[in-house]
Amino acid sequence: MNAAARSRNCEEQKTHMSTLEIQNLHVAIGDTEILKGVDLTLHSGEIHAMMGPNGSGKSTLSYVIAGHPHYEVTQGDILLDGESILDMEADERARTGIFLAFQYPVSIPGVSVANFLRTAVSNVRGFTNKESAAADNGVIGSNLMPMREFRRELNTKMKEFNVDSSFARRYLNEGFSGGEKKRTEVLQMAMLEPKFAILDESDSGLDIDALKVVADGINKLATQDRGFLLITHYQRILNFVKPDYVSIFFGGRIVKTGGPEVALMLEERGYKWVEDELVAGAVPV
Amino acid sequence: MTLLIERPSEFVEAPTGFSQETVRLASEAKNEPDWMLDFRLRAWQRFESMPWPKPTDEAWRRTRLTGFNLDNYAPFATHKGTAERQDLDPELLEALDEVDSAASLIYQDGGLLYRQESDNLARQSVIFTDLQTAVQQHPELVQRYFMTEAVSPDANKFTALHAALWDTGSFIFVPRNTTVTLPLQAILNQGDGVGGYHHTLLVAEEGAEVTVVDDLFGAQDAFQTSVVELIVRDNAQVRYINLQDFQHTAWNFLTGRAVLGKDTDLRWIQVSWGSRLTKAFLDLDLQGQGGHGELLGLYFPTRRQHIDHQTLQLHRVPNCFSDLLFNGALKHRARSVYMGIIKVLPGAQKTDAFQRNGNLILDRSARSDSIPGLEIEADDVRCTHAATAAQVEDEYVFYLMARGLTRPQAERMIVQGFLQGVLDRVPVESVMHKLEKVISRKISR
Repeated sequence: MNAAARSRNCEEQKTHMSTLEIQNLHVAIGDTEILKGVDLTLHSGEIHAMMGPNGSGKSTLSYVIAGHPHYEVTQGDILLDGESILDMEADERARTGIFLAFQYPVSIPGVSVANFLRTAVSNVRGFTNKESAAADNGVIGSNLMPMREFRRELNTKMKEFNVDSSFARRYLNEGFSGGEKKRTEVLQMAMLEPKFAILDESDSGLDIDALKVVADGINKLATQDRGFLLITHYQRILNFVKPDYVSIFFGGRIVKTGGPEVALMLEERGYKWVEDELVAGAVPV
Repeated sequence: MTLLIERPSEFVEAPTGFSQETVRLASEAKNEPDWMLDFRLRAWQRFESMPWPKPTDEAWRRTRLTGFNLDNYAPFATHKGTAERQDLDPELLEALDEVDSAASLIYQDGGLLYRQESDNLARQSVIFTDLQTAVQQHPELVQRYFMTEAVSPDANKFTALHAALWDTGSFIFVPRNTTVTLPLQAILNQGDGVGGYHHTLLVAEEGAEVTVVDDLFGAQDAFQTSVVELIVRDNAQVRYINLQDFQHTAWNFLTGRAVLGKDTDLRWIQVSWGSRLTKAFLDLDLQGQGGHGELLGLYFPTRRQHIDHQTLQLHRVPNCFSDLLFNGALKHRARSVYMGIIKVLPGAQKTDAFQRNGNLILDRSARSDSIPGLEIEADDVRCTHAATAAQVEDEYVFYLMARGLTRPQAERMIVQGFLQGVLDRVPVESVMHKLEKVISRKISR
């Protein structure tokens, strides 16, 4: 589906339309400013690729959107459908429909994929509410999504997203290969059905076959009621996932936004060009 | 309130102070035969002759008895008789019904409070009774096995005190080639401000199979010195769970030893949730070839609790297997100590022994010490040990929260995951659920 077709669909389905707005976002750790005024608006149905060199602050942006507590927002705002999400904890943001696919998913011994995902899905879909969670010390058992229903859906989606059914019982990311971790991230996204997914270098460290599987998963999930921020270092994944917009991220801010041609330009000319042409030409600080 | 339907034949004045006279009073209150009184008095002499542990003793270097003084406690509880099921406190009823058991005993105030028997056990000639009754009804068996083979009164200062003043306890005797399918359950609700001396004496004869669950709680401002003796004869299979959840004002001293014959199969699960301080000595004594012993531990001290496990895997003969896994989580200035030795005597070739201790530190104020050790005097053995201490990574919590789990859910999942290696090996499902509940409770407060 091309961008025009996708935005047409969006207009037809206004009820599912959501907007994620990042406004003049400044973020620091201690005295070090990492994000220096990021502006970006993402609508449902859009895939926005963000490309930038290592250390430019791309991952920081993804962590801040997801609500990582280590970063301090010093200026600006992040709005989901007009409401600021900055005061929300990471879990509240997940429940409002933000999903972050991690560049480096952690492995957690003893916690099975199915067990963890059932709790996550139950929270996000509202099987559990805050009151019951608080009353039960946040320990939820009886108010989870019914086991059979959950299992059926998980099995279906594991097939659809090329994750072997044995992974349900395996401990989260323990002993998973790079490709298996990234596929499991996509599976989780499929189960949690977010409004906006931020994919932090979901293509990194994958061989071409693994990359295709992950890209295929993203394409399946790229419906008109869902927006994607696809963070990547390389143009490679954009051969498989077609973006509507491409931004170049450099030195803690977006220095250029355009269509898919920007990615090709970057591929051709490299980040040196960005530094020489775009950063030098940008508004001086 | 429990209704008293039976009173001891003689009233005993509430005892004060620890002395030889106290030991006599304790025995008298139970109308014991002379041989048991003599046993107690000999043990009291040993107690008096043994010094208190000193901070310079290797076993007590990391666990101090500062603040512990016998004089702060009534030396033994005064038994107030038995009760009917409908009169049991809700806490006891809950503990009783939590585990699907073949038979149950409940102890309170230094004696038996309630007994839930099974005709089936009687038909199988299985003895499952309180130790005081066993002294009266099976004196030859008690004389043969009680603190003779597994744990001696001389083992340490606390076992001597225990031998002199033991009060509650279970005697479990499973005859040759007899299988008890459901667990046998013993519950102790220790009283406040008093010394408690709980005993578990299990004898599984050749080819017998049994599962026993000890569920210990109570002991507000009290102390407990318990002894566990598991005597596992050739080809027998024993599953034993010791679930300690005393009040956080209780001092708790435990000495336990399992003696394993030929081709035996033992799994001992030691759970140390409660007490202000626990010092537990736990030994596997592999005496017959082909013995298979597992010693698994769980602990989760919070709020300044101090939990110390000291273990011994003693391989006396060839071709035995022992596996030890102690996993604990800690928070709130809590402290855990694990000391363990795998000891392989000369000639115990083809020994296969593992020892692992893992600690998960939930906040920086908690501390764990782990001192694993090997003493190997045979040359053809495989022995490994490992100790780890890890923090709950903020990145773990963030990952789970970014998927929609609340912080308590995330922490609970990480801790439970960490303890899962032991939980997976709890042989009684209802006990496993009970443990999971306690873990949740401990995480949330």
